[in-house]
Amino acid sequence: MRSRLRLLMAGVVILSAALPFAVLAVGSVAGEWRWPALVPSAIEGDAWTATLAGGTRLGPALLYSLALGLATGVLGTCVALPVGRAIAELHGWRRHLGAGMVFLPVAAPPIALGTGLQLTSLSVGLGGTFQGVLLAHLIPTTGYLSLFFVGILSVWDRRAEDEARTLGANPRQVLTRVTLPMLRPSIAAAAALGFLISWGQVPLTLLVGRGRVPTLPLEVFGYVQSGQERFAAAGALLLALPPLLALGAARLAARDVDVVPV
Amino acid sequence: MTTGGLVVGGLEIGFGDAPGLRAISFSVARAERVAVVGASGSGKTTLLRAVAGLVPIHRGTVVVGSRDVTRLPPELRGAVYLHQSPVLFPHLTVGENVAFALRLRRVPERETLKRVQELLTAVGLPDFAPRAPRSLSGGQRHRVALARAVAAAPEVLLLDEPLSALDPTLRDEVRVALLGLQAEYSPALLLVTHDLDEAALMADRIAVLLNGTLAQVAPPAELFQRPDSLAVARFLGMRNEIPGRVRSGRFECALGSFPVPAGISAAGELVGIIPVDAVDVVPSPSGSARVLGVIHRVQGTSVLVSRNGVELEARAAASSTPKAGETVDLRIYPERLILLPAIA
Repeated sequence: MRSRLRLLMAGVVILSAALPFAVLAVGSVAGEWRWPALVPSAIEGDAWTATLAGGTRLGPALLYSLALGLATGVLGTCVALPVGRAIAELHGWRRHLGAGMVFLPVAAPPIALGTGLQLTSLSVGLGGTFQGVLLAHLIPTTGYLSLFFVGILSVWDRRAEDEARTLGANPRQVLTRVTLPMLRPSIAAAAALGFLISWGQVPLTLLVGRGRVPTLPLEVFGYVQSGQERFAAAGALLLALPPLLALGAARLAARDVDVVPV
Repeated sequence: MTTGGLVVGGLEIGFGDAPGLRAISFSVARAERVAVVGASGSGKTTLLRAVAGLVPIHRGTVVVGSRDVTRLPPELRGAVYLHQSPVLFPHLTVGENVAFALRLRRVPERETLKRVQELLTAVGLPDFAPRAPRSLSGGQRHRVALARAVAAAPEVLLLDEPLSALDPTLRDEVRVALLGLQAEYSPALLLVTHDLDEAALMADRIAVLLNGTLAQVAPPAELFQRPDSLAVARFLGMRNEIPGRVRSGRFECALGSFPVPAGISAAGELVGIIPVDAVDVVPSPSGSARVLGVIHRVQGTSVLVSRNGVELEARAAASSTPKAGETVDLRIYPERLILLPAIA
């Protein structure tokens, strides 16, 4: 009885995870598909053939979003790790104040944040540029990742670092030989999280990019608005794949460190 | 002044608003073992970390191997600190852990590998170099941590409760490895523990840390036979305190009059301590003491008796342990009497 229930629950979970992708996959090749038809009236592969042949805006937008997401993940992690550590080493009200400050860009509504950033980016000449959008994405990302590292480093066991110091390692050697390798799974998870924050970002890209930074979410949005449903579905599928790959990569990095003979 | 080893002079360390440690002075010679004992929270670990350079000190000096290292960072002190639970670097193999300090110093790789193998052999783990730390037992981790510490060729090895986290069989395993390594490589060894048996087993001298200062530093036998103060005696778990007075070379108390042991110059109001193993109970129906209870310990059985209103713990023969309520005679060995000034 219990095993049947488990099987049923597993089926529900798998179905609920897979069903949206299945609908998108069918939608990306569906001809006319109106209610109450259970299946599309025809199969048309023009969205995919055109995308693969470079005939749509999806391919370049995919590369643009990948570059933006990777840069945001890497840079955000590089900034958030020392910020998180510095806050984690504070005590009492100082730690609360530090955590509160990095929480601000996370708490601010994206539209409000984007409006402010748009004005700033225009004044420094970064409006409508890749760099401007990257900086805009970095602001909430760094906030999220700093909070992520505050959580991890607040309970971080410093004993290994202490012992490394007395074994003769200077602070730089402790960082490169002990701290960073031991934090590797968390760093990978943070980079993946930063990538995901940037990957799904629409309001900031729209406001700071001013329509001149064509990321994948914006292009999918455009196809939806113009009623090109197959292209929108194909774009949405492309949008869903990299996050899955990013989470898989983070999961792999979080595995126990493989060891090699001395 | 010792040559090599560790010399700590006039150390003062704060514990926030609490008084902290003050006027801590002692030395540990090369190849010597000194154990610092004290109650939980007395500052033993803080003292060790201060010597290692891991916590700041207010005042005093730390000399390691004739070098004043007071103002040097931990990596330049020549004093390796080991935590109570061994902390092996999880991303490195056992061999790489042991090689850690050698690679920091850019020792040639062939020499490093040779040294790693020597040390792992010395701690009884010759084939463990390729293993991951997570695959080791608790005792094996301790031994690898010791090998890694010794690989750094420290002048001073600082051990924080090295055996406390281990079960009795693993304690022996790690103790043997530790004493073997120290005999071979001769660092000065300073360990802290709350376990008096562990301290007595491992140390040449024991330092008693009480109320923020070192109350006494002495070899184990001397410490247990001649504590300097009633506070030290109480910390050592000595029972059977009897107030009395020394008059004409005899200690007079409720239990009778005993000659003051040779070598002790004492006079006036004092507290006498009769060690448990210096009082035997002898079953006797017409005895002067009554048995209040029987106490069983790993070390042996003792009985709690009362005579003339004084309660004493006394040694009982395993074959003829009296029962509660019975009367016994007491055989006291006055040469073991310890006389100390009362605490004001």
